Amino acid sequence: MSFLDFLARQGERIVRLGVEHLLLVLAALAIGTAVGVALGIVVARRPRARALVLGTTGLLLTVPSFALFTLLFGLIGRLGTAVVLPGLVLYSLLPIVRNTVTGLLLVDAAVIESAKGVGMGPVRRLLRIELPLAWPVVLTGVRVSGVLLVGIAALGTLVGGPGLGELIFSGLRIIGSPNAANLALAGTLGVVVIAILLDVLFLVVARLTTSKGIR
Amino acid sequence: MISLERLTKRYPGQAEPAVLELDLVVPEGEIVVLVGPSGCGKTTTMKMINRIIEPTSGTIRLQGEDVTTSPPDELRRRIGYVIQQIGLFPHLTIAENVATVPRLLKWSTDRTRARVDELLDLVGMDPSVYRSRYPRELSGGQRQRVGVARALAADPPVMLMDEPFGAVDPIAREKLQNEFLRLQEDLGKTIVFVTHDIDEAIKMGDRIAVLREQSVIAQFDTPERILSDPADDFVAEFIGAGASLKRLGLARVRDFALAHWPVSSVSDGREAALAALQRSTADSVLLLDDQRRPVRWANRQDLSRSSTPLERVGMSVTAVVEPHATLAGALDAMVSSRVGGVVVVDGRGGYIGTVDMGVIMAAAETMRAAAHERALAVEQSDLRAADVAVDLEQEQERR
Repeated sequence: MSFLDFLARQGERIVRLGVEHLLLVLAALAIGTAVGVALGIVVARRPRARALVLGTTGLLLTVPSFALFTLLFGLIGRLGTAVVLPGLVLYSLLPIVRNTVTGLLLVDAAVIESAKGVGMGPVRRLLRIELPLAWPVVLTGVRVSGVLLVGIAALGTLVGGPGLGELIFSGLRIIGSPNAANLALAGTLGVVVIAILLDVLFLVVARLTTSKGIR
Repeated sequence: MISLERLTKRYPGQAEPAVLELDLVVPEGEIVVLVGPSGCGKTTTMKMINRIIEPTSGTIRLQGEDVTTSPPDELRRRIGYVIQQIGLFPHLTIAENVATVPRLLKWSTDRTRARVDELLDLVGMDPSVYRSRYPRELSGGQRQRVGVARALAADPPVMLMDEPFGAVDPIAREKLQNEFLRLQEDLGKTIVFVTHDIDEAIKMGDRIAVLREQSVIAQFDTPERILSDPADDFVAEFIGAGASLKRLGLARVRDFALAHWPVSSVSDGREAALAALQRSTADSVLLLDDQRRPVRWANRQDLSRSSTPLERVGMSVTAVVEPHATLAGALDAMVSSRVGGVVVVDGRGGYIGTVDMGVIMAAAETMRAAAHERALAVEQSDLRAADVAVDLEQEQERR
């Protein structure tokens, strides 16, 4: 069966898995962004805490994903999204935290001083001045995390997670049979398409949410 | 009025304090310039007033009220703050930048919008052109103007300015200084102005505090007195060479007796001009038009060339100043003209008199003598404070 025939026959399933995949990544990214940006804000101007958090999140990224999922399964005791989602959140942290820290530290000291000078308190300064100015850098971190997660999420199938991994691993299970390559190819292409979609989505979001004054 | 009492700043881990027990009073409506070599603590001192830097000990009073421990954010909304790097918010439009403090004070949208336009007008920027622009679309000088507008937004009685014109080129700086002084004539803010440039201090200050290390006051006085009677070698050295020349930059043409050159109206004809020249010792006559505006300089030879019409004889008048010009400005115009005198004209361009080398020399002598007398008076006075009070009165009278 040619790849095109395969697509025609399995199209519905591929799209369903693709949507699952995308939703999983978006959910992980949303949580990761909330946690990562908060962490970044807290540690940005505290050198010791910053080193600790960046070191830890960096270390997390070096743990092989299969191992991480297995470890989390041991911790949580359930399979499926319950394991994959926290795993993906952990993987998303490093780029988001690092870029939040970098973005905040890049804000011109004179701008912060004049925000103080006009009588803005720390919270207002953060929300009105520092975060909006750091925003393009933060968003780049989220985007990098997003693309990273699309790939890692494919491995989540091994612990019962949703998404396009199912196609790839089905192919792996029947390796040697005529459909194995089609399955793996469909899964891989799906992952690539989603990664590109996400990338474009974030570029659009960045464009829409960044002030014209700093674009 | 701002008063600092025994204000001290010690940084942890540093043996010497950055500011040591500074006492300073900034009188209502005056510009007091803190000037001194880098590292003398002048910026630290200024930043303690709005508590960007928290003082270690001492008291800060704003119009009599002790603000040393009041909530810093509320305090800062009452104090305009302009820094050298300006620090405009790059992601906000010019209007939003200027509206920062009014928004913090929860002014209504209409009131804020009207105030923003008023301020942009005040600093010479057309609101309809600049309101919705972003800081990066502006030149350095324009940004500085917006910075001043933002600081003035809620009409604070007090302003702190840290080398506000330091980051622009010399020509723009001169212009901004003049504009700001003109503004201040109407606004009458109480201003602490920090600079390391003594010339800027002399130009901007009603009073100057020359600071040495740890913000210790070497001399606190009017620019005239600092120039003519430096308290010690440190101040003299800081002023540098050319104190007399700098003093000419403080004196206005209108305050001195002008010289009078022979003048004659073009319409009175050649004979009248020759007669005017005859009556004086000068070697040329100034020809005026019917509105008494200076037209030409002519000497005897020029006048004898009867083939040239009178309005084209001799040399054109290039060196012209108005009475509010400084003597330094007049001297500059004189040197760059080929005649040994500058014509002083009123607002409509009519002849009032001239400034020549004699006028400048006499003015310098008067200033020197006056400064000397005042210095003696100060020495004789037991209470220096009393003298400052008298001085304040005189200054108010002068206004």
